[in-house]
This record gives sequence, structure tokens and C-alpha cells, in this order.
Amino acid sequence: MRPGYSLRFRLLAGAAVSIALALAVAGVGLSSLFAGHLRERLDLELGNHLDQLAAGLGLDDAGGPVLERPLSDPRFQRPLSGLYWQVAVAGAPVLRSRSLWDVTLALPGDQLPDGVLHRHEAIGPNGVPVIVVERSVQLPGATARFRLAAAESRAAVDRARAEFDRTLGLSLLVLMLVLTLAAALQVAVGLRPLARLRAELAEIRAGRRGSFDAAVPAEVQPLADDLNHLLAHSAEVVGRARVQAGNLAHALKTGLAVIGNEVDGLDAAVAGRIRGRLDDMLRHVNHHLGRARAAAAGGLPGWRTELAPTIAALGRTLASLHAERAPAIVIDCPPALTFAGEQEDLEEILGNLMDNGCKWAAHRVLVSARRAGPGSIVLTVEDDGPGLPAGSEAALLIRGVRLDETVPGSGLGLGIVRDLSALYGGAVEFARSAMGGLMVSVTLPGGV
Amino acid sequence: MMRILVIEDDPALGAQVIEALGRAGYATDLARDGEEGGFLGETEPYDAVVLDLGLPEVDGLTVLRRWRKAGVAMPVIVLTARAHWHEKVEGIDAGADDYLTKPFRMEELLARVRALIRRAHGHASADLACGPVRIDTRTARVSLDGNPVTLTAHEYRVLVYLMMKQGQIVTRTELTEHIYAQDFDRDSNTIEVFVARLRKKLGDGLIATVRGLGYRIQPPPEARSAEGLP
Repeated sequence: MRPGYSLRFRLLAGAAVSIALALAVAGVGLSSLFAGHLRERLDLELGNHLDQLAAGLGLDDAGGPVLERPLSDPRFQRPLSGLYWQVAVAGAPVLRSRSLWDVTLALPGDQLPDGVLHRHEAIGPNGVPVIVVERSVQLPGATARFRLAAAESRAAVDRARAEFDRTLGLSLLVLMLVLTLAAALQVAVGLRPLARLRAELAEIRAGRRGSFDAAVPAEVQPLADDLNHLLAHSAEVVGRARVQAGNLAHALKTGLAVIGNEVDGLDAAVAGRIRGRLDDMLRHVNHHLGRARAAAAGGLPGWRTELAPTIAALGRTLASLHAERAPAIVIDCPPALTFAGEQEDLEEILGNLMDNGCKWAAHRVLVSARRAGPGSIVLTVEDDGPGLPAGSEAALLIRGVRLDETVPGSGLGLGIVRDLSALYGGAVEFARSAMGGLMVSVTLPGGV
Repeated sequence: MMRILVIEDDPALGAQVIEALGRAGYATDLARDGEEGGFLGETEPYDAVVLDLGLPEVDGLTVLRRWRKAGVAMPVIVLTARAHWHEKVEGIDAGADDYLTKPFRMEELLARVRALIRRAHGHASADLACGPVRIDTRTARVSLDGNPVTLTAHEYRVLVYLMMKQGQIVTRTELTEHIYAQDFDRDSNTIEVFVARLRKKLGDGLIATVRGLGYRIQPPPEARSAEGLP
């Protein structure tokens, strides 16, 4: 499967891109709207000046145009102020504002019907671009048509537009930041149920819970339900496999028991050979059933098992099983200690070790548990029996090897202890106990 | 002390256990499922039960828990293929007194049944003794002043039961219930015959008749202190 970008990244990137696009479109639209507004206002203003100019025009004796009333805007009087007017007859300027000084406005030679406004861009005094609005009028009594023009420098308009664009750009940038932050917040809030789900999954893996039970939103609920079904299903499959393994064991072992009892009546040499094969078969059955069980356990999410009640239950059981020899079983286990694994595995490890202790003890078996460090515990079973011959420790862990054939047992116990400890990454060690007999220590994951 | 109930659904194994127990001198009943076995255990006075766990109808642990809840207290040894320690813990916690896993050696089953019955009657040793009479329950051998005495299975059961209950009066009915299997044609008059034969083989002084009540073996004073009996 291709590793995808995180949901958070997808949502944030999507939000950021769409916010940027929307704001860019809004920026361009607002800017052009403002520019249109500026132009309209300028056109209106220049149109007003033209009206005033037309109203102020009269005819001199020669029939030429003469300004009878000066225009009201004082800028027309100040040279090169940026606001100009001009009157032309047949393409030649005949009157112009004082502000134009000694310059004339060069206008394109288009034909103007009366009353219609024309708009041009032209070059004004000092080469400054200007916007020109012109119209032509026919004064009563005049022979020629006058072409009236009012012009204003573009500089003021351009400056206003640039300032507007800068302010708009800054505002939109701030808006984009705020919106992106809001989107990030929304994503975080929206994804929180998933984070909770992930935390619960981690707890399930760590064995602190068995299923999802936090309230999640309706959109995530099906996922949580499916995961719960999956967990229940795998637990059920493991349970069924165990029952089937148990049934198989029951059938095989009952059969082996029947054959073993029939053998008792046979010739001693034959009986011995058959019994040897039967013991081998039993060892294989036990070993492989144990492994199947252990493999099933290893694949499941972790568990946590309290040590003290488990050791106490095993102590009760072993006291019954060894009621004839009646060794004293002494337990030393802090109440809060736990094993990070399945109870049945712990029982299998401790049961075999304590059973060996009870078989060999003269009077006393000591079972103790303590923390060995962060995330690790040590279980120790020792007795006051004869202990081991020097150098025979390694043979103890080999499947089916028995150091003493006089005590009942299949020699499987310590092999199972080794296999299960290895499954949990633990280790088995042998030493001489201060009580005189054997001391077996198993290091396993666990803690308080 | 001599009557044992075996609850085992495997016909071959059931027959073997019944035969071995019979050879060792016990009267035996065999039940093939939990329903029948549970009923027999509640209604008949057995001295011990050999109980399989994987049974048809009602499983062994349920049978055991029902008995214990109903106050049925006879010793029970679980004989099962379930060899995991959590199963042993479950069995003992359900009220079993011992737990033996299949496959097993028949001698071991017999030794454990013997030990269970002995402990249930408060005897620490496998030897029962009263004056000159001694019984080794491991080998089912009886001796008088050190000389072996040959007894029939019924005679042996009557003697062991009375020896287990030394100092107590045992009624004919109680003896009948403990020495015969369920489907045996019981006749309490035969008890008198067995007692008469035992007196003939072991001497008149051992078994006393308590008129109208039953029989009693009275331990001699030195045996009382040795066995720690009242």
C-alpha cells in the first residue's frame, strides 16, 4: 500500500489552497472595482469642468471663442497644477487654461457629434500622462464648432489605486492567516476522535483494555465497531482453536492411556519398548499442543496478570497435589506486582517450577517475585531438596531429559518453562539456593 | 471405605480402571456420563470418586461443583487429559482432592486413590493395625502376628472398613453400602457370614458385635496412642 499523506496534512493543504484562491479572486475583483470607481469619478469631475467651460464661453467680435467667466477650480490658474482645459477650433487650440502654460494638449482628430463625451489618454505638460475628456459645442451665432477638452494628470489616480491595492493586499494576507489558523483549529478538533481512537488502540495493544468503548462521532463509529468485531473475532478464533486443541489432546491422551494400561500385561521387554514409544508420542503431543497454544497467545494484544492471586491459587493446588509429602509452600510476592502476559502462560511457567520444587523439597518450597528493573520482573522458585549435580543445568532445559527417573514426570516441565519464557523475551537461570536445593529464576516482562 | 465410583466416558479406559480397582479389592460402579455419575455420587455413599472432566451431558467440573455445593464431601480424584496448570487450579478450586493427567500409570492411580481414602479417614500411614492384625493397604496384604492371612475381596473390604472406623460402631447397612457395587445383589445377611469368616481367620476377639446396632473393632490401649485415636 502506498504511504498516504496524513489526514491533517490533506485537510490543511486543501483549506490553505482554497482560502488563497478565494482571497486572490476577491483581491483582483475589489481592485478592479475600485479602479472603475476612480475612473467614473474622474470622468464625472472632468465632465463637470467641461459643462462649466461650455457655460462660460462666449463669442468675441470676430466670432472667435472667449471665456467670459473663469472656471471655479483654482488649479486651472496654477501653472502645471495637473488640471487643464483647452478650446480648439478646427483642430487648432485657440484658448487654454493658465495651468497649461505654453503647452497644448495633442488630441486625436476624431469627429465628435454634439453633446457626446470622448475619453482619451494623452501626454500632458512635462510628458506627464493625462486623462482627457472632450466634447464639441456649437455656440449660437458661431460659424465654427468648438472642441472643448478638460484633462487631469493620472498621477493622483494611480497613487490612490496603488495605495488601495497595498491596503487591500495586506488585509487579505491577514485574513488568509486568520482563516488558515481557523482551519487548522477545525482540523484539530475534527480529528480529535481519531486521536482518541488511536490512544485506545495503543491501550488495547498494551493489554490495558479489550475493546473500544469511547464515544466517537457517527462517522467514526462504524470504524470502531468494525475494529471491535475484529477483536472479538480474533479472540473467538483463538478460543475455538484452544478448545479444539484441548479436544484433540483429550482424545489422543485417553487413547495413549488405554494402550499404556494394556501393555502392563505383556512380556517385560516388549512392554518396555512400547512404553518408550508411548512416552515419545506423549512428549510430541504435549510439545506441539503447547507450541500451538503459545503461538496463539503471542499473536494477541498484550495482557496484564496479577502475580499474587495466581501464585496463591497455584500454592493451593500444589498443596492438594502433594498432600502426601506436604511440603510447606512459602510465598513472598508484593501485592501490586503484575506480569505483562497471559495468566495461563504465567500459570504454566510457575506451575511447572513449583511442582518441581514440591517433588524435590525436603520440607519447604519458597516462591518469590520482585521487580528487576523498569518493565521487568523476576520469579524465583527454590527448595531445600538435594539440588543439582554440578554441570547438569543445561540438560534440564532439553525437552524430555529427566535427571532422575525415580520421581514421576515426563521431563517436559522445564522445556515448557523455557519455551514460554522465550516467547515473552525472558530468560531461565539455575543456581544453588541458600536453602540448600535448586533455585530457578525466570525473568519476564512486568511491573507494578 | 471400599466402594469407588468411576465416571469415565471412554469405554476401554473405563473398563481398565474398573478392572484394576476391582483387583485391588475395591467395589466399583462405572458411570459413562456426567448426568448419571452426578446422580450416583449424590445418592450413594462412595468412599472415593475417579472423575473424568470431558464428559457427555454434564462436564466433570460442573458435576464436582454441584456435589460440593450440595455438601457431598467424599474425596474426588480428577483423571483427565487436561494437563494445563490453569485447568489443574480450576479442578482443585472446584473441590477436587487430587488431579492425575492422562496418560497415567495404573499403579499411580491406585496409590493416589489409596492415599486419598486414607487421608479422608484421618490416617497418616498406609498401614492399618489393631493388636496382632496388620493391613498394608498398598499391597492389600493382611497379616496376623506377622503371618500372612488370605481373605476374599468381600472379607477384605469388611475388615478394612471396620479398621478405618476403629472404635466406632458400624451398622450392617453401612457395611453393605460400602462393600458392594450398586448393581450387586445385596443381602445384609451375607455380612454376618463375612464377619464369621473373619473371626475364624483372625481370632474371635477382634470384631465385637454390638447387639441391635452393628459391629465394632476396639483398638487396644497401646494402638490408641500410636494412631492418635480417641
